[in-house]
Amino acid sequence: MNKLWLYLSFPQLQLDSLLQQSTSEQSLHKENSQKPWVIWHEEKHQICQLNQTAYQAGIRVGMGLGTAAMLKHDIEVVLYQEKISQGMLSDIAHQLYLISSDISFWGSTGLLLQAHNMLTMYGGLPQYWQMIQQHIPNAITYHYASGHSPLAARLLATTKWNTITDDHSSIQQAIQPLSLQHTELSSAVVKKLARVGLHTLHDLLKIPFADLAKRFDADVTHYIGQLTNQISHPIHCFHPKQTFERYLELLFDIENLQTLLKPLKILLTALASFLKSRDLLTHTLHIKLYLRDTPSVDIKVESRQGEYQMDVWLSLITLKFENLSLSSPAYAISLKVDNTFVRSPDKQDLFSRKQGTFSRLQLQSLLQAKLGDDALTTPQLSNDFRPELMLNNTLTNMSSNQAIHLQPMRPSFLLSKPAPLQEKVSIAYGPERIHTAWWDQDTVIRDYFIAYNSIGQWYWIYKTPDNQWYLHGIFS
Amino acid sequence: MPNKITFQIKLDQTKLASILIINILYINTVYLFYIMHPTIHYLKNKKLLWQACHTQTDIKSEQTTGFTSLDNALQGGYPEYGVIDIRSPIGIGELRLLLPSLLTRQREFSSELITFIAPPLSINSEMLAEFGLNLKQILIVQPKTQALGLWSAEQSIKSGCCHSVIIWHDLVSVTHIKRLQLAAEKGQCLLFIIRPYQNEHISLPVSLGMTLAPAKEGIQVYITKGKGLKPKQIVNINMHTYWPELSQLAPSKVLHFPTAIHKVG
Repeated sequence: MNKLWLYLSFPQLQLDSLLQQSTSEQSLHKENSQKPWVIWHEEKHQICQLNQTAYQAGIRVGMGLGTAAMLKHDIEVVLYQEKISQGMLSDIAHQLYLISSDISFWGSTGLLLQAHNMLTMYGGLPQYWQMIQQHIPNAITYHYASGHSPLAARLLATTKWNTITDDHSSIQQAIQPLSLQHTELSSAVVKKLARVGLHTLHDLLKIPFADLAKRFDADVTHYIGQLTNQISHPIHCFHPKQTFERYLELLFDIENLQTLLKPLKILLTALASFLKSRDLLTHTLHIKLYLRDTPSVDIKVESRQGEYQMDVWLSLITLKFENLSLSSPAYAISLKVDNTFVRSPDKQDLFSRKQGTFSRLQLQSLLQAKLGDDALTTPQLSNDFRPELMLNNTLTNMSSNQAIHLQPMRPSFLLSKPAPLQEKVSIAYGPERIHTAWWDQDTVIRDYFIAYNSIGQWYWIYKTPDNQWYLHGIFS
Repeated sequence: MPNKITFQIKLDQTKLASILIINILYINTVYLFYIMHPTIHYLKNKKLLWQACHTQTDIKSEQTTGFTSLDNALQGGYPEYGVIDIRSPIGIGELRLLLPSLLTRQREFSSELITFIAPPLSINSEMLAEFGLNLKQILIVQPKTQALGLWSAEQSIKSGCCHSVIIWHDLVSVTHIKRLQLAAEKGQCLLFIIRPYQNEHISLPVSLGMTLAPAKEGIQVYITKGKGLKPKQIVNINMHTYWPELSQLAPSKVLHFPTAIHKVG
């Protein structure tokens, strides 16, 4: 079986990531996508990505910023950041990994797919390619080509051949007229070859392979060998990560948190599809808001049950945002999920009349998002005679296996700190002496009584050895 | 008595129905009669005849209050779901009145929660555990404001994972109660609102309204409102079986500490 490789080249990932926000229905965003946008590479001092409007104005890749500004005065300039492209590329690779087994990164702009071992499964190249196309997000610009070696596929894709075929001769025909400048060869080598009259690949491929090695240096021989599959080309396949991390640069600075929910939706939708396709859930989202001139804000949103759905997370985030205000506008957001776990559906009663469908953990997350983490507790027991130690309530119930001996006749409410008794009471029961903790500083010697006052309220009071009376609890 | 029945039969059918309802005391006689007479049979099929025994049919075990006298006054117990308004000062046994019912409901709906919202003081877990409640199925919510308390209550009762919610709250309006009633129906949950005495002129649309007052042997319940109940009943509840020590009627157990009481002043 002949080997077949597919190369996908993504020339403007950062621009695509920026402009995918404009696909939302807001008219404000639509205007933004009509503006000329360019991505400016700082080290190379040239424009490296631009949108259609900028292209129509005459701006081209490789221009300086000055020239571009002369051609169009209102261009929107964004600095090139390699990590954005890499992030996007990794997301696309994750998507494609679900349908194609061997994927390898090529720099920060290209993906190489091994096609020949997938054809049996999809029943042919057209079907396979259709599947791949469906899994590339719509807003992404890309060029593609197939080839019998990785280098051939890459060469054809970067020159925008945009054809998928396994016909050897048509691939050869497409390769031969290509200029050597498009190849992986360094510009010095290309110049050297040009001096001896070799300008296109056709010129090089004419020469028998054995002669090449004699006439030119190793670089050329190696390249042509790999291009024509005579020398093997090692490929490092990509393995998907089990974590999700994405960064989104905003079209414009946003200070209003409600407006910020719109771009956040894009990230959450991506997260939902990431988790859903793997049948995973997560407990925690780490949202980072990058603020202009001030340190960035980290927001942790928790769902105790574990969720993947965008709507659920969005409602939790909305509640979280209600207690938050930004000191300066945000220019970017990122979403990170570290821990995921496999979903296991909890059994539900099909015959219950209840329409409420929350689970206990969902309710807890909802309340915590609005009220704060410390507002929710579950009562705990402690194995101590001191009544005040019963108040160490936390949300996570430590299920102590030891049987705690529970004292009868305890009040339903305890004062957080015993208060001096201020009224006249009649005693109904007692005394019950608690003498404990003689081994540490909080030694307790108290005689407890149950008493009622004139209007019939039931108190739990105690007397200290020096005859001081305190109110400690109320029998509600 | 047979004479009276013969007299009624001569009237037209609708009048007969109303008179029968008024004369519930004669129900036994009527019952004997309707086996024989097709008119009563016809009325019963048309659902024009109401028999007193019909009310008792759909009372479930989890609705019991745990106190026989209160069960009788409430015709079987608390409503299945809805809002119960309790007006009471703190510390007279208002929570203890609810505990037996909470325990039964927790056993019935073992996977669901009891939620306490905004208790005025810290709830003592030892007391709850000693009464037999499973602490793991209890959630205590302490919101910062009263409005947040109502919000938490609404979320909890409509969630479907709580069988009972108890909230301590001062001010409630008719709109709040209507919202909470709908939520309670959605989640099939019982919401107890405990609030202090207030002078109110409006009647809140609650399922059951009770005003509590201290009593020597337990607590006195004044039923202000309830669906299908005889209004303005006063029920004295004896809590002696549950908490014998918390009774002012046990003179033998009262120990007098004159010095202590004087000291307190």
